[in-house]
Amino acid sequence: MRILLDHFSKSFGAVKVIEDMNLEIRDGEMLALLGPSGCGKSTTLFSICGIHRVSGGRILFGDNDVTNVPSQLRNVGVVFQSYALYPHMTVRQNIAFPLQVKGLAAADIKQQVSAIAALVHIEELLERRPAQLSGGQQQRVALARALIRKPDVLLLDEPLANLDAKLRLEMRSEIRRLQLETGITAILVTHDQVEAMSMCDRIAIMNAGEIIQIATPSEMYHDPRTEFVAGFLGNPPIAFLKGTAQDGAVLLDKSDIRIPLPGRGRPAGAGRVTLGIRPEDFGPQGDVQIPGTIVFVETQGRENLYDVRLADGGMLRSIQPVRGDLKVGDAVTWAAAGDKIMVFGEDGSRL
Amino acid sequence: MTVTPTSPADAGAGVVQPALGSRTRRLLYGSRTLAWLLLLPGLVMVVLFFLAPVVLTAAFSFTNMSTATGVSGGVYQVAPSSISRLKTALPDLADELSQPRYVIDQAGLDALGQTSVPKPLLDELAAKHMGEVFDNRRDAERMIKTLGGRPSTAVVKQISEAFNRSIVNARFSSKTALFEAIDGLGIKATPEQKETIADNTWTGWVWTTGNFERMFASKDALRTMLNTVFYVAMVLIIFNTAYAMFLAIATHYMPDRTSGFFRSLWLLPRITPPVIYVLMWKWVAWDNGFLSMLLAPFGVAPRNWLLDTGTNAWVFVILINGVVGASMGMLVFASALKAIPQSQFWASEVDGASRWQQIVHILLPQLRWPILFITCYQTLSLLASYDYILLATNGGPGGSTEVWSLAAYHTALFNYAGNLDYGYGAAMALVLVIIGITLALLYLRVFNYRALVSRPIIEH
Ligand SMILES: Nc1ncnc2c1ncn2[C@@H]1O[C@H](COP(=O)(O)OP(=O)(O)OP(=O)(O)O)[C@@H](O)[C@H]1O
Ligand SMILES: [Mg+2]
Repeated sequence: MRILLDHFSKSFGAVKVIEDMNLEIRDGEMLALLGPSGCGKSTTLFSICGIHRVSGGRILFGDNDVTNVPSQLRNVGVVFQSYALYPHMTVRQNIAFPLQVKGLAAADIKQQVSAIAALVHIEELLERRPAQLSGGQQQRVALARALIRKPDVLLLDEPLANLDAKLRLEMRSEIRRLQLETGITAILVTHDQVEAMSMCDRIAIMNAGEIIQIATPSEMYHDPRTEFVAGFLGNPPIAFLKGTAQDGAVLLDKSDIRIPLPGRGRPAGAGRVTLGIRPEDFGPQGDVQIPGTIVFVETQGRENLYDVRLADGGMLRSIQPVRGDLKVGDAVTWAAAGDKIMVFGEDGSRL
Repeated sequence: MTVTPTSPADAGAGVVQPALGSRTRRLLYGSRTLAWLLLLPGLVMVVLFFLAPVVLTAAFSFTNMSTATGVSGGVYQVAPSSISRLKTALPDLADELSQPRYVIDQAGLDALGQTSVPKPLLDELAAKHMGEVFDNRRDAERMIKTLGGRPSTAVVKQISEAFNRSIVNARFSSKTALFEAIDGLGIKATPEQKETIADNTWTGWVWTTGNFERMFASKDALRTMLNTVFYVAMVLIIFNTAYAMFLAIATHYMPDRTSGFFRSLWLLPRITPPVIYVLMWKWVAWDNGFLSMLLAPFGVAPRNWLLDTGTNAWVFVILINGVVGASMGMLVFASALKAIPQSQFWASEVDGASRWQQIVHILLPQLRWPILFITCYQTLSLLASYDYILLATNGGPGGSTEVWSLAAYHTALFNYAGNLDYGYGAAMALVLVIIGITLALLYLRVFNYRALVSRPIIEH
């Protein structure tokens, strides 16, 4: 079901958290709400499911205005960051709860619980209590409970934050599988860009209560609208250099390195700019030569990450297949792919 | 002020003590010793204020102690009351004991020596009749009249009176003295009969199970017990748990400030001194009080609502105790509610649970332990405390609000008739202690205490 936030605002007393947000989540799509801690992701999510009352604007499910519909009647499934399982109930009772309060027949409930338990692979845990489960198992129970009443919308608030790295990887694909299998419209709140990029159809990136850009993961990666977005996506992160634009090129601060600008990002006149260069776009091959000194080498297994300090004190990162001939202190002149360099203006927006 | 030392020991008191010996230091600071030292005040309190009273109560409950027997020793006294008791066991002996005897003994002769009775007469009496015992005055006087010198009737009477040896009301500090006196009076009694006499003339307390026999046979005790069950059940169920829970839940869903205000409001009765608190209720209930005034326009005659009928008295007793008792449950439940993560309320909301379902399925099951605690604690405290009832109705009207603990108090410590029945009172208190412990164990059972404290099996 399509979800539409129409000029949505939310404040707690005098604290304005979200102001005038517009966001559309398409039917059957999985959208990531990505942003740093405290930017209002949970607030948005809780407003969509009705836990918070909105302070302004409308929320539409399909064509229905649900702004004033109580959360009980919105038919949304929510997975909370802490899972919020009911500790005094068994797994079976936890999952059955949404059906139980609806007053379904016991036989019906039993059958549906078995079906959903099979879907999330927890059939053998049904008689345990939440305290007797591992984090990943609790996660699956929370998912099952959210899915059992066939909600129109699935909301996930940092569902993977409490899991270890391996389990996180496993649950990532698991959640995506479930979403695709059920065809449900889903919103995933996260501050982990890898999670957002790997699991979702589109990403809405948020900062300080505002949505900065909505796009598919690769669009957003390759074509960020602002410096903030570029900095948020990518691991290892993008490196920024400061400079001054002059005649179709940027003169880096305190050096004579001139970087010719790609056609798209050519600033109209002169001015202060920031260049963004992703680590994979800086290496031995390229058309824009930039000399520097290696100050740090990090081995990542298949690849090495090099931190290169430039003459002006700026730093670039380069990721390359492992090679043994470079060490800290070596002077190198590597090159950036000119057409991949991003240019941002003083206000942070892409030029 | 100057202090004059009066002895070498006193003089030494001001001298600085040498540093503690290593042994003392080890004792003081060794962790085990220290733990015991820290526990000591608590242990002393437990022994002094719990164990000792319970043991003493148990001991007292198997005695017939009362104002009449005292709590220390006693004497053997052939009082009219003991003779009447003796009549059922030994009718003949009782009769004999109650009659005066006339014994010609040295004490009587000495006493007569101080009077104007002629000396030769006394000498003759001593010589011929020393040690003789006469069953009644007539026989004794007939003997006296046979003496030389023909004493006048007045003198005969004077002499016989001097040898009147009634045992009635005489006090004997020991059994031996009592038996000697009986023998001295020429009363023939077997050793068993003597023991029976001793038992029946003992004025001190004795060990007995009579209190319990009396209690189990008593209609009053049964009524008091039923009153107690009614009282504890009503206050506990209506106010201490249900209403306290209602207050806790209601304030839980309120904004912080409002809930704080309501909670403090309900704490007021608890903080008010009981005397003043009950006095306020009395103002409400008196014949020219608030309630009568309020009902006057509707043609209801003014009356003392607190004491006019048993039913009304109960309404007030339950209200008075309930309003005070609800605050504790409210606080405990409210803080337990605060401990439930907010996300569980949110989760149940989006799961479709109405507020009522939220309360029944999420909230109450997680308050099992606080509910157990309050139920247990309040049952015991309602069973044991009677202060508010004492101040409000004092068990009235006509004993209709007399509860067990109040009855024990009335029996053992405060009685209009003035005869305090310590033994019976202690027996009542002991019954209360036993009921309390039994109920506490029962509650733990019912609420499945073991499951509550069992450890989870965590597995990855
Ligand atoms: N009940 C509330 N009262 C006042 N301020 C609140 C309340 N809830 C959230 N806020 C504020 O709103 C802002 C956004 O909070 P929110 O929980 O939505 O952040 P978030 O993006 O989910 O962060 P995180 O990643 O840390 O969970 C924060 O600054 C927070 O302090
Ligand atoms: Mg959050």
